[in-house]
Amino acid sequence: MLVLVQHFIVSRLVILHASPDILTVFIAFVSMSIGQRTGTTYGFAAGLLSGFFTGNIGLSALAGTVEGFTAGYFHVPEESHATSVKKRRMYYIAATTALLSGNLLQALLSDPLSLPLYIRLPEMVILGTLMSMMLGTLMYKLVLKKLLKD
Amino acid sequence: MLSLFRFIAKHTAYLYFLLYCGISILLMQLQRKETLDAIRERGLAMNASVAEQLSNFTSIFTLRQDNEQLLLQNARLFSQVMHQQQELRDSKAMQAASAEAPAWARQFRLARIVDRRFSATDNMLVIDAGAHQGITRDMTVLTPDGLVGRITDVSQNYSKILPVINKDFMVSVVSDSTRTLGLLSWQNGDERIAHMEHVPVSSNLKVGEQVTTSDYSTFAIRGIPVGRVVRISKDKLFCNIDIRLAVDFSSLSYVLISPAKPSREKIEIMGGDTGRKGQ
Repeated sequence: MLVLVQHFIVSRLVILHASPDILTVFIAFVSMSIGQRTGTTYGFAAGLLSGFFTGNIGLSALAGTVEGFTAGYFHVPEESHATSVKKRRMYYIAATTALLSGNLLQALLSDPLSLPLYIRLPEMVILGTLMSMMLGTLMYKLVLKKLLKD
Repeated sequence: MLSLFRFIAKHTAYLYFLLYCGISILLMQLQRKETLDAIRERGLAMNASVAEQLSNFTSIFTLRQDNEQLLLQNARLFSQVMHQQQELRDSKAMQAASAEAPAWARQFRLARIVDRRFSATDNMLVIDAGAHQGITRDMTVLTPDGLVGRITDVSQNYSKILPVINKDFMVSVVSDSTRTLGLLSWQNGDERIAHMEHVPVSSNLKVGEQVTTSDYSTFAIRGIPVGRVVRISKDKLFCNIDIRLAVDFSSLSYVLISPAKPSREKIEIMGGDTGRKGQ
């Protein structure tokens, strides 16, 4: 469902060749709250599905895997009884790291518009991450915050 | 043995990561194999059908029908004009040209663009015509303004177009006045400017000349307008030529597909497949 929303709605909000990515935010959330292994698996599966629509199956799966794996380093175990402030902080760090790593990988390995690297990197990595984090913040405040408390 | 199991249990996440990365890289390598082509075809069909539903939802129904009729009429007129222009050009070169006038000019198919992507990761167009409508790979896509691209993937009812403004696209072109030949490609971020390559410094090409597809192309029919020369600068051996593209990709909603298929015989004698880039 999230793949469909990402592909048909969110990815159309293009500003300077960059668009937000709610899939990565979700993968980071899963990885941070459940664990690195699950996050990596979710990332791979989400990447495969996303690639099914875009045609870049391999690259999307690879980016998803890397995103899930890197976000897993900020996993907060259930038994740690971490405060909600710490959980929130870890969520933002995990999402930012996942977005930066995934966008960087996509910017380096895919370039159908043939943009020079000095344009591609700031647009896709920095602007893409910023846009996604804005959506990520919104998602956290509306939905994810409640899930974390449970 | 026990320590091996312990090691695996301790590092499962890393093993998963390596496994998924391996599969992903394998998929990237196999991207052009037949099975993946079939998966991509299905993905394209699903993608296009959902995108079509979304675009239908927002369009005004009767207005679209009227528009389609007008465009069909326009396509018919355009094919007649192209046909006549081709005849006129050929008659200057040889007397029997009218007898050899191409049949394709009368049989363009009209298709609607149902999805488009011009982002840094995904650069393509999808039209609502596929194998059922007689579309095959490597067919030429154009508008009355000029060349749009070529068909790269075909599903039952949809096709994917590799547009001129993609770095993988190349086409052989010729200028209308000085008959200068070159290879058109697109290599930078400006959506309206392409480059003409392999033009020697001794060429007489002038700014303002129109550039059309040439006879040497392995997929495009000849005589389709591509753009106009806007800048020429000379290098050591070749000229650097900027071409302003005839088609405005930002406002493209309908395209024409030429049913003329690429000459396999010509491609074979040239030594192989058109490849992804073609010319």
